[in-house]
Amino acid sequence: MTGAGWRLSAAEVKEWMEWLLAGGRRVVAPAGDGGLVLFRQVSSAGEVRLEGSAHARWSPKEFLFPRTETLMSYTFDDSNSIRLAPPRPAEMEQVLFGVQPCDAAGLMRLDDVFLGDGDGDQLYADRRRRTAVVSLACAVARPECFCTAVGGAPDGTDGSDAQLLPAPDGYLLRALTPKGRELLGGLDSGWQVTTDKDWAQARAQAERVATEIGRSPLPGDLPGRLIGAFGLPIWSTLAERCLGCGICAYVCPSCSCFDITDQANAYCGTRCRSWDTCTLAGFTRHASGHNPRPDQPSRFRQRVLHKFAYFPLESEGRLMCVGCGRCVALCPVGMDIRSAVDNTATEVST
Amino acid sequence: MSATAGARTVPETHCADSEWRPKIVALVCNWCTYTGADMAGTARRTYAPYVRVVRLLCSGRIDPLLILQAFEQGADAVLVSGCHPGDCHYVQGNLYARRRLTVFESLLDFVGLDQRRLHYAWVSASEAVKWSHLVDEVTAKVREAGPLGKWARPAMEAWQPPFELPEPGPEPRPKPGDAESAAITGHLRELAATLLDSEQVKLVIGHTPGSLPGQMVPAFVRSGQETGVLAWNDRCAGNLAVYLPEMVKQAGGRVAVVVKSCDARAVAGLLRENQVRPEDAVLLGVECAGIWHEDRLAARCHSCAEAVSPLADWTLTASGAVEGSVPPQTERATGPDPRSAQLAVLEARPAAERWEFWQREFDRCIRCYACRAVCPLCYCQTCIAEKHSPQWISTAIEGPGNLAWNVTRAMHLAGRCIDCDECARACPADIRLDLLNRAVAGEIADRFGYQTGSDPGLPAPLTTFHPDDPDGFQ
Repeated sequence: MTGAGWRLSAAEVKEWMEWLLAGGRRVVAPAGDGGLVLFRQVSSAGEVRLEGSAHARWSPKEFLFPRTETLMSYTFDDSNSIRLAPPRPAEMEQVLFGVQPCDAAGLMRLDDVFLGDGDGDQLYADRRRRTAVVSLACAVARPECFCTAVGGAPDGTDGSDAQLLPAPDGYLLRALTPKGRELLGGLDSGWQVTTDKDWAQARAQAERVATEIGRSPLPGDLPGRLIGAFGLPIWSTLAERCLGCGICAYVCPSCSCFDITDQANAYCGTRCRSWDTCTLAGFTRHASGHNPRPDQPSRFRQRVLHKFAYFPLESEGRLMCVGCGRCVALCPVGMDIRSAVDNTATEVST
Repeated sequence: MSATAGARTVPETHCADSEWRPKIVALVCNWCTYTGADMAGTARRTYAPYVRVVRLLCSGRIDPLLILQAFEQGADAVLVSGCHPGDCHYVQGNLYARRRLTVFESLLDFVGLDQRRLHYAWVSASEAVKWSHLVDEVTAKVREAGPLGKWARPAMEAWQPPFELPEPGPEPRPKPGDAESAAITGHLRELAATLLDSEQVKLVIGHTPGSLPGQMVPAFVRSGQETGVLAWNDRCAGNLAVYLPEMVKQAGGRVAVVVKSCDARAVAGLLRENQVRPEDAVLLGVECAGIWHEDRLAARCHSCAEAVSPLADWTLTASGAVEGSVPPQTERATGPDPRSAQLAVLEARPAAERWEFWQREFDRCIRCYACRAVCPLCYCQTCIAEKHSPQWISTAIEGPGNLAWNVTRAMHLAGRCIDCDECARACPADIRLDLLNRAVAGEIADRFGYQTGSDPGLPAPLTTFHPDDPDGFQ
């Protein structure tokens, strides 16, 4: 489909969003929330912040993999037998709108984990089937960005059903999948068709942003080499200042670990799946009290190697990192996964 | 985010009709109120039948989490009652309880809990009449307030606060110049090298430039040759005291740490609570003109008059490093604390609006526990959030658990928070944890005349009591 598309003014994009909303879909987009921009369900196009390049504080992964969701609920009835109830049926169709290309690619990593090759996770699969993604190509590079190092691009299309690209007087739009095409709902007949020149300009812009990011792709043999770094002493230096919170994992578009707990009282309860992360000390603590990852260096090593070695070695080389850089930007003590990978790679080859 | 919505309703099996009957959980002391309530029964006194009594050994044993749990499990109101001051079976348990519960009540009031739902009283073993009247009074108040509904429901998307928190006023002093920072950096490197080379310390914890523009991150320096990485400027926001207890253990000797006056108060807290021994820490006190985020002075720095901590073992200024704490000759300019004006606005709003405001703040919480990780005074080996039997704080990342976590964190730091605002800086969701902490600190200052300062000898206010403490109990 590349090459074919439409030119939309900002007003036409708004109209399109209003049309999506009117069609009964849940529209999730970057919007102001208490002074910061977050992905949330919007009720009008006016709430959506696409100006410049949408940059939400964290990725929209929670709309596919919620912070907390019910797996089942149960009640004890009068005869003290247990009644089970399945989780709520999947919500309505949803559109994730204005998603950065790296975040869209992150959703594909979630697919790898929750769908796998087979049926995968039913709750996730239901939600995924009803989700369409409209990404927004990046017009600026942030200091923490590194998508170009991990197989992405400022106008990357992985995980997008349609994509908006900032243009001098509005946006270019391309439909990338049949689902994306459906989202246009015939409105495209009223939109101006793009020219080759438009796309050349958009491409040039993406190249400029990529140059600004200034990171070349990590070598293909990196995962295999990093495995050798497991026993190196470098981890204690790399993770020395890590305080062991969960910011990096929770703002990450691809981190997908969870914990399952019962929230219950004497009468009823729910079994919940909630976000969890390998950087917290309790993540691997056994009932006996033994913890196979006893210190922060071993936890940080898990985070780095899972993303850049274990996962890619099991998944045809796909890295478990999409280079959004949020973990770099939001870490209160400035941990930088980019330099951790670089330093480890250097260390292992010497 | 309401994935578990509706799961916590306790079936009302005793009600034949659908009329609402308040559920009141009474947390009472075994030695007085429980016996008093018993006496009310044996004396056949008639009073409102909506109280579920939970007997505890002492009001001093009543953890605020029990109150939160009661609300979470569906109570419309909670009544706490113990022995009159002076009558405690364990001599002073109720006097500790009085301080703790009073502060907790004001914290819940600040986050907007309807005050008709939380009641404290002293009822002795002989006061059956008082107990029955008390229950009637509480019942009347709860009826007036109505059913609690869902505790800590997710915030409504559409709700916008009908008020604005005022922006910070103008900075009371200008941003320090680069030359000044560079001079301090030079002296710091020199001093660190001397301390390390002469083996007076095993390790120096300081700041160094990070990988993002302008970013400063913690650095750990172990030899005199490495001190070139150390730097000081107005962006050194991090409170390095957080590393001190662990690093003293690891280094197996004295550790020097670069401190602003706020950071040094954290060290005072660690000394006070026996987490660090005085002989293990060397405080390198920099003359700090305030921390700047881009072009704004950090809120806490507006009113800070302490350029150098009184606890400093060394004072680092642009003109050199001298032993001891040497404050500058000239008093520095301060201005009103911007957070005070914001607190005043919040406190003036009706409770229902404050509740909505804080629900919205807590709704953004993703439970990354960064607030805990960066806090020098949050040093528990096993945090209450990780105690799973029973599960005191729900790990589900939504309303009830988020409220319980944020309120409990603030409560556990009551009278211990040293006002470095690291929690608020670290929070990826920009939750106004600084305001929560300030509200509690203000309450403690008002009631007990205590400010968490630099004196390690002064006990934390909730670990002590005074027989004449203010008493709002019925």
